[in-house]
Amino acid sequence: MAASFLFGQFMGGLTTAMFLFLIASGLSLVFGIMRVINFAHGSFYMLGAYLAWQAVQWVHPTGAGFWIAALFSAATVGLLGAVVERLFFRSLYGREELYQLLFTYALVLILGDAAKFIWGVDQLSVSTPPVLAGSVQLFGSTQPLYSLFIIVLGPIIAFLGWLGINKTGVGRLVRAAQMDREMLDALGANVGTIYTGMFVFASCLAGLSGALITPIQSIVPGMDVLIIVQAFIVVVIGGMGSFWGTFWGSVIYGQVLSFGILIFPGFSLFSVFALMAVILIVRPWGLFGRPL
Amino acid sequence: MALHHRLAVLCAAAAFLPLGARAADTIKIGFPIPLSGPTAVYGKPLLQGAQMAVAEINAKGGVLGKKLEILSRDSKANADEAVRLSRELIIKDNVDFLVGTLTSAEAPAVSTVAKENKIVFIAPTSKSTILTDAQHIHPYIFRVSSNTDVEGDAGATEMAKFKDVKTVVTIGPDYAYGRDSIAAFIKALKQKAPNMQVVDSQWPKLGEPDFTAFINAMLSKNPDAVYCSLFAGDFVTFTKEATPLGLFKKIKNQLVDPAEVGTTDEAQALGADYPYGIVADAYDPVVWGGGNEPAEHKKFVEDLKAFTHDKYASGWSIVAYESIYALAEGIKKAGSTKSDAVSKALEGLTFDTPVGKRSFSVKSHETFSPEYWGTMSKDPNYPFAIIKDPELLPTDFKPS
Repeated sequence: MAASFLFGQFMGGLTTAMFLFLIASGLSLVFGIMRVINFAHGSFYMLGAYLAWQAVQWVHPTGAGFWIAALFSAATVGLLGAVVERLFFRSLYGREELYQLLFTYALVLILGDAAKFIWGVDQLSVSTPPVLAGSVQLFGSTQPLYSLFIIVLGPIIAFLGWLGINKTGVGRLVRAAQMDREMLDALGANVGTIYTGMFVFASCLAGLSGALITPIQSIVPGMDVLIIVQAFIVVVIGGMGSFWGTFWGSVIYGQVLSFGILIFPGFSLFSVFALMAVILIVRPWGLFGRPL
Repeated sequence: MALHHRLAVLCAAAAFLPLGARAADTIKIGFPIPLSGPTAVYGKPLLQGAQMAVAEINAKGGVLGKKLEILSRDSKANADEAVRLSRELIIKDNVDFLVGTLTSAEAPAVSTVAKENKIVFIAPTSKSTILTDAQHIHPYIFRVSSNTDVEGDAGATEMAKFKDVKTVVTIGPDYAYGRDSIAAFIKALKQKAPNMQVVDSQWPKLGEPDFTAFINAMLSKNPDAVYCSLFAGDFVTFTKEATPLGLFKKIKNQLVDPAEVGTTDEAQALGADYPYGIVADAYDPVVWGGGNEPAEHKKFVEDLKAFTHDKYASGWSIVAYESIYALAEGIKKAGSTKSDAVSKALEGLTFDTPVGKRSFSVKSHETFSPEYWGTMSKDPNYPFAIIKDPELLPTDFKPS
């Protein structure tokens, strides 16, 4: 097996990983801090994709059109997240997980139908922005520029997120809210605003990932369900609520998928699910998580 | 509740009103089809094709003096859901016949329901041979679509036309249709181009969002050509990921795809990103990039555009349209709406379609329908790829 081929598979795995990290990080964040399992996170991702397509139709695909569309998606989905959190999630905190699951699942159905109603059932496609449409030769394998962009973007966002959580005043409040919500409340901090802020941030990330995936995937109804399953596997492997867990969980997922098809060519699904099963048996709280 | 569920409830309620007389007046056709999810993009035009056929037939007075009525349900391309809906349509809604399903996961499942309840079921699109093979054939299942053996024959014929091809790699979705499709192609290729070798097969799951690893694996085998059974959203995603990886350049666009990615639906979805130069097929090219368009087809397309208010008609509506007309012919010939009689009438029946005559074989109740193949090309009149000089293939298929 040629080294260039292995390198190509490795880079492919990294691209998958970074996309998954962008979306799974929001899921993990919301669970880690607010203890809410948000199934509708995948729906936000899907809406981000559809909104990006819509924005590109309005702005017309000029050079900057795609980036404007991506920001538009992030902002709009963030706003939607704020509305959903304020109106509905408030009453779910601290309640039985079953209610949270039921509500977010209902949200999945509602948002799915809304998307179908607005954009129909046809598969939609957005072209890669021209500045990133080419490819380069690296170590004998062809690397699409867009993949390289995503591979670089992932760790940047991870680093910024880590900085934000660990080195800022707001980040300290967020970590405190994760540790002991009631105490923080008693100390006078506005926990409600922190929660809303976190949820909006996670939703923005979901919307942004949805927009960024459009050059390399078709936008179809059902992409919300597909992505949420993958995001869950990543978070299970890495550890619910752990930021670096999600990062490394994504990297592992990407590489297992990439090389899994070489070891089990007929069973592309098998390798990732097998990994998740092993983790659940050996270390159920994930590689970097803490026992709940 | 989803909009169409609410409509279905309203219709069911309305149906209770003039009870007795109504039930005898219409011939009810249950139509489970994906209307949500990634395959709804084909489910919708199929339903529209059937609805147009019903409207045309009813305008001429219906069949045996009765009007046809379609009861459509969203199968979500899920076999269990399709089975549940079919049972409900038969037991609760008292449908006389079943037409529909999209995938080769749903159709065989609904076929068992049809067999249990002795109701004629016509499948317009499912290609997997399992639907009508010796173990699964029964009096009530009929297939209007092509099957994977016919498709593989045509695909191999097209592949054999490529020059300087020694190695071929395949990629197909990992379920009944994909597996059958690739297997049939490999078998046919051995006869039509024995000098071409299939050196690798990739099996992404249906609905795979990321083909990069599979594409890299294919490239590592240094292929001269590719046979690809991906369709709908999968083909769109595959193309968008394969292009920057240089796959199409490497194989000089020598890719053959038998899964109807030559339809106007697929071409519009990809727009300018469509890999021009590949060879693909469609039951109905809609846009005839060359001469020889059948006269009935011109009229069919104009009617379809008017019926659906679409600027460019879908290449999928025709098979559901054909299925309804075939059923109507069967009912007429039998002189009855009882499935036992209609089933006997449909065996060996020849019926007209806008693209020629088709017949249900006596042994396996299928039409071995050929499809239109050609190179996907640019055309100044259309903002999407069209089939250049569509050719009906295969011309000489003999079922084994």
